[in-house]
Amino acid sequence: MVIVAAATGKPLGWAMRGLTPAGVLLVAVVLMDLVEARRDRLLLPLCGMLCVLSIVFLTRTDAFLATRQLIAIIIGIFLMVALYFLIEDIRSLARFKYLAGLSAIALLAATMLWGREINGARLWLSIPHLVTFQSGEVAKILMAIFLAGYAADYRQMLGRRGRGRISIQTPSLRSLAPLLLIVISCLAIFVGQHDLGTAILFFGLFVTMFYLATGQPAYGIAAVALFAVGLALAYQLFPQVGVRISSWLNPWADPSGIGYQPLQAMFCLGEGGILGAGLGHLSVTNLPAAAPDMILVVIGQDLGLVGSVGVVIIYALISVRSYSLAWQATDRFASLLAAALATVFALQTLIIMGGVLRLIPLTGMTTPFLSYGGTSIVINFLAVGLLLAVSRDCVPQPEKAR
Amino acid sequence: MNELSQNIRRIALVAVWGFLLMALVFGYWQMVRAPALRAHPYNQQAQQRANSIKPGLIYTGDGELVLGIEKDNEGWQRTYPAGPIYCHLTGYNENTGLQKGLREALLGIGAYQNRWGAVGHTEQGLDVVLTIDSKAQRRATKLMEGRRGAVVALDPRNGAILAMVSAPGYDPARVMESQMNYEMFTNHPASPELNRALQGLYPPGTVLQIFVAAAGLDTGVATEQTVFNCSGTGQIAGITVNCSKLGGHGRLTLSRALADSCNIAFAELAQLIGPEQFGSYAKKFHLLDKPDLPLPTGQGKIADLIGDDAETELIEAAIGQGATLVTPVAMARLAATIASGGQVIQPYLVDRITRQGGKTVTDNRGGRLRAAIRQETAQQVAGMMQVSVEEGSASNVALSVCRVAAQTGWAQNPEGKPHSWALGFAPVDAPQAAVAVIVENTVPGRPAAGPIARQILEVLVSCQ
Repeated sequence: MVIVAAATGKPLGWAMRGLTPAGVLLVAVVLMDLVEARRDRLLLPLCGMLCVLSIVFLTRTDAFLATRQLIAIIIGIFLMVALYFLIEDIRSLARFKYLAGLSAIALLAATMLWGREINGARLWLSIPHLVTFQSGEVAKILMAIFLAGYAADYRQMLGRRGRGRISIQTPSLRSLAPLLLIVISCLAIFVGQHDLGTAILFFGLFVTMFYLATGQPAYGIAAVALFAVGLALAYQLFPQVGVRISSWLNPWADPSGIGYQPLQAMFCLGEGGILGAGLGHLSVTNLPAAAPDMILVVIGQDLGLVGSVGVVIIYALISVRSYSLAWQATDRFASLLAAALATVFALQTLIIMGGVLRLIPLTGMTTPFLSYGGTSIVINFLAVGLLLAVSRDCVPQPEKAR
Repeated sequence: MNELSQNIRRIALVAVWGFLLMALVFGYWQMVRAPALRAHPYNQQAQQRANSIKPGLIYTGDGELVLGIEKDNEGWQRTYPAGPIYCHLTGYNENTGLQKGLREALLGIGAYQNRWGAVGHTEQGLDVVLTIDSKAQRRATKLMEGRRGAVVALDPRNGAILAMVSAPGYDPARVMESQMNYEMFTNHPASPELNRALQGLYPPGTVLQIFVAAAGLDTGVATEQTVFNCSGTGQIAGITVNCSKLGGHGRLTLSRALADSCNIAFAELAQLIGPEQFGSYAKKFHLLDKPDLPLPTGQGKIADLIGDDAETELIEAAIGQGATLVTPVAMARLAATIASGGQVIQPYLVDRITRQGGKTVTDNRGGRLRAAIRQETAQQVAGMMQVSVEEGSASNVALSVCRVAAQTGWAQNPEGKPHSWALGFAPVDAPQAAVAVIVENTVPGRPAAGPIARQILEVLVSCQ
């Protein structure tokens, strides 16, 4: 980072500022190590890299937002450490599964009814004079806890692979009902919140957990098909919910209106080329919502394809590491919880990237650890705190070489 | 537990594939599509950035500055050091002439932008070196002063455009000086903005006889010694064809017919060739093609030569009248095709594009297309054109030091006085330059184009 800054000359100060979250994180790691050093050692450095990038590129885009983001990161790290110590055993969290599930549903429902609509998507919930937050961010982690607990307990009820040599089970109403419920509730999110990203995120989480609980991919695939048809129908019936879909399908139809943001994103990526235009070398004032939605594009412009792919690799490593904690965990609930959190993280990143790259419609969700957004930063650090607790409590450590 | 771990691994694998896809799509936009995105007209940022780039210069092949720059309060402004000499090449603002056609190169954007981004990134455009020969261009401009018409000179060996003048010209620096200047310029009755050399569509008249002779000899329906009978006027395929010589040339060979620009002989020859072969040779010669140049070009026209009136259309086409319209650059190309032994050349204007400071980015040596006619045919036609210079109507193109092959002629103009044409090349044995000249609305009987063609060949050709 410092090398990049030095190469482009002026923004050395940005890099110095960007190193602040790394310093805070280092203090947190030392603090945690003083108590107990036996836990995952990979997730925090990777997330720290993303936070450094976040502060550098927010400073470059909007210095005021960068300061707020820095505060959010410090709060997030603090809460993560607190949660990590608060949970004595991750397995005990399963007790709160229904509380978590109901809270998640309440949050989503409240957003649909009273949410604030920004940029065509209703994602924010506001408690007057107190706080405004992205409810989907909070709901996703609660939902992960609920689904992990539910799937861990009720595997039998959801249907199990038969013991026979060739087992073609007739789909029972019992196993189909939850899936139908999933599809319908996610469609409700799409129509209610005007946001495809949140709908896909929750749907992906549900279907993944259903698959992990039952081990039967066929139902999941059927649900995906049903969901796709449902989305297409909903878009036909309520075209106003899909401003971002229209701008995705044909941005050239209205290049200065709804097509403006996706096209500018393309132009910025093109400007970056392979090695990038240089940190802060070109203005990004043409790029709407650069800090919350488009920070990946700013990185792509400044650091080029090398930078973009570097960021993709960091995200892939965090995802794989989280999944590997999940498959190593000795407890079924801990394993499913880690898998759910990993899925939320990976899927959210893929949805954002796909939107930026015009593979799917652009969504109002945040890029984890990178884009501007206090809720997102805090929640993602809390998720990492849970993963660290899983690794502490349920993942057997390899024997240390003497 | 084992089964759950297995399934989690499968999900993780799906996620990894997802991230791999994202990396590939980043590559698609940032590598494959980047040049197109940078030059896209909706890309306002890039357009604005282009204003701060120091644009490149344009030079002639022999190093004269054609399009310059100077800096004022508003940024970089174009200068035109040679005044009107190169006006139809430079244009008068960024939306005309080569300033438009070579915009990406002059600004170093789009296809010419450094793919690697910041590394080696300069806010400088690229310089362009044209194929134009400044001496020939200046001479041609001077000779065309006070007339309307065009001059195009090509190097028949490679297609390099050595001179390209359209008259009347204008001073590009003055067009945009005031609104009044601009309006006077665009409303001028002589259309100075029109580049007649590339866009002007003229009836070719008797200079098209070169093409008819070449087609006739190449198909074998006639030889140089084939005898025709010219009685001054005649009914051929239902239309009256008049010969320039009152009372006719009598009996004459094809060679003599070209030297004397005898319409009747060529109308009869065209009948022997037939409409189908005639059209096919027009294609082989690329007679009507728009050349691939970074400037606006015109598309020649010829009757379709099919159906009941094909015969009539054929006779009209053969004498270069009727629906037949050609550009001066196409006629220069016809002369160059004969000069190069039948090889059709691709005219080009940009010799090379260089970084400011000298390193060549791209260079262009034109291209030869398929041969239009056999080499012997081209040599026979060249010989006939030489006779035309030495003892025929094109004697005013003759040079004292070099042997010249040429054909001059008239094209009837339904709207006024006839146009005067001249095509030629020299030296005959190893041609170095081919030229086409048209002067609009000349006084009949006083050929204007021939002497101009001669003086331009004089500048371009050196003989021992």
